[in-house]
Amino acid sequence: MLILISTLSMADGSKVPPPNGDQCVEDPSWMRTHHFETILHQRDETVIRGIRTTEHSLKNCIDCHITPNAEGEYARYSNDEEHFCASCHSFAAVSIDCFQCHSDRPEKAVREAIKRHQANGINPHHGMQKSVSDLIFNSNLQAVQAK
Amino acid sequence: MNKVVSKAYQLLPKFKASSGASCDQDLDQSKRSFLGGLVGASGLAIAPGVMLYETANAKPADQAVTDAVRWGMLVNTNQCTEECDACVTACNDEHGLWPQEGSTTDSQWIRKLTVTDPATKHSKSFPVMCQHCEHPPCVDVCPTGASFKRDDGIVLVNMHTCIGCRYCMMACPYKARSFVHEVLENQLPHTPRGKGCVDSCNMCVHKVDAGENTTACAEACQKDGHQAIVFGDLNDPNSEISQRLREFGGTQIRADLGLNTGVRYQGL
Repeated sequence: MLILISTLSMADGSKVPPPNGDQCVEDPSWMRTHHFETILHQRDETVIRGIRTTEHSLKNCIDCHITPNAEGEYARYSNDEEHFCASCHSFAAVSIDCFQCHSDRPEKAVREAIKRHQANGINPHHGMQKSVSDLIFNSNLQAVQAK
Repeated sequence: MNKVVSKAYQLLPKFKASSGASCDQDLDQSKRSFLGGLVGASGLAIAPGVMLYETANAKPADQAVTDAVRWGMLVNTNQCTEECDACVTACNDEHGLWPQEGSTTDSQWIRKLTVTDPATKHSKSFPVMCQHCEHPPCVDVCPTGASFKRDDGIVLVNMHTCIGCRYCMMACPYKARSFVHEVLENQLPHTPRGKGCVDSCNMCVHKVDAGENTTACAEACQKDGHQAIVFGDLNDPNSEISQRLREFGGTQIRADLGLNTGVRYQGL
């Protein structure tokens, strides 16, 4: 476990912009290995019982940890090692599907992106991001077509 | 007790006379059980101030919702105009339901309907969204329990457990639910939604939980000056929605199904 934690710590690459605030809601070393437990617990509490404490909510993680880089750009989970979650998950080879539905950026960043899209005449929902199943399906399709 | 309740119920002939045929029974039943839970209707009439209701103030974030409140909406179709779609636009903007180019399967959480009486050619335009039934058919049929009713009456899809089977879409008499067919991008943080799940009007649950006591559609309708949509607590006799319902009555769409909807209409 110690090795795991130390490797995970190493994965906190310097590419990730610093978070807002200076203290995590839990001990960071515990968070590195257990954050999914709190998120899993919180999701049912929130959806089913309407409990909206922000301490362990995914939205709060994002609001704090996903900050703009020097150019003012917000990193994306799908294709960016600057994204706080992605930086570690890609290092540890963890695949999650949280961000197929949940926003990987704070609301401000999403609203800005939507404005940019609309100004350029692009539909905000038109997916640049492909789901894993789409990628598998497409690669299978190509394989079939190649035959 | 039963005698007291039924006797007290006779004091409300207007309500009884104004509603449809078979739905009366269900309305009566729900009204009875509601009154029954409150030491009888006479107590309600004599000393309304004595009854303890949770008012529509914000609940503390760390506390679960309770059935002390039942959120609902009242749509006055007399104030709704055919050319206005402020409620639809506001809903789309609030929840990030951007229309997909060329897609015929965009999620519709709220839509405007215009109905015409074939005999008189009289037309009405009004919004239809999830009716937040007390007895929701979508909940009955869901094989995973993902479609559920919160204690405060809001009917939701728990997308963590939705398997996208779409039984709920079949079961819903109001066609209120949509299936997300395509990969989405730029979802808003307070409204997570994605491919493979069913979604529908959530009565702006994030606003309700934050104590804002309104929905995007109701807000937009107010702003637009039509003031056709009122949001409020159906359990609170002093709320605007309850007062309006008491004074003017309200009908349910497909009241014959006996679902006791949380969304009521005037002028239909």
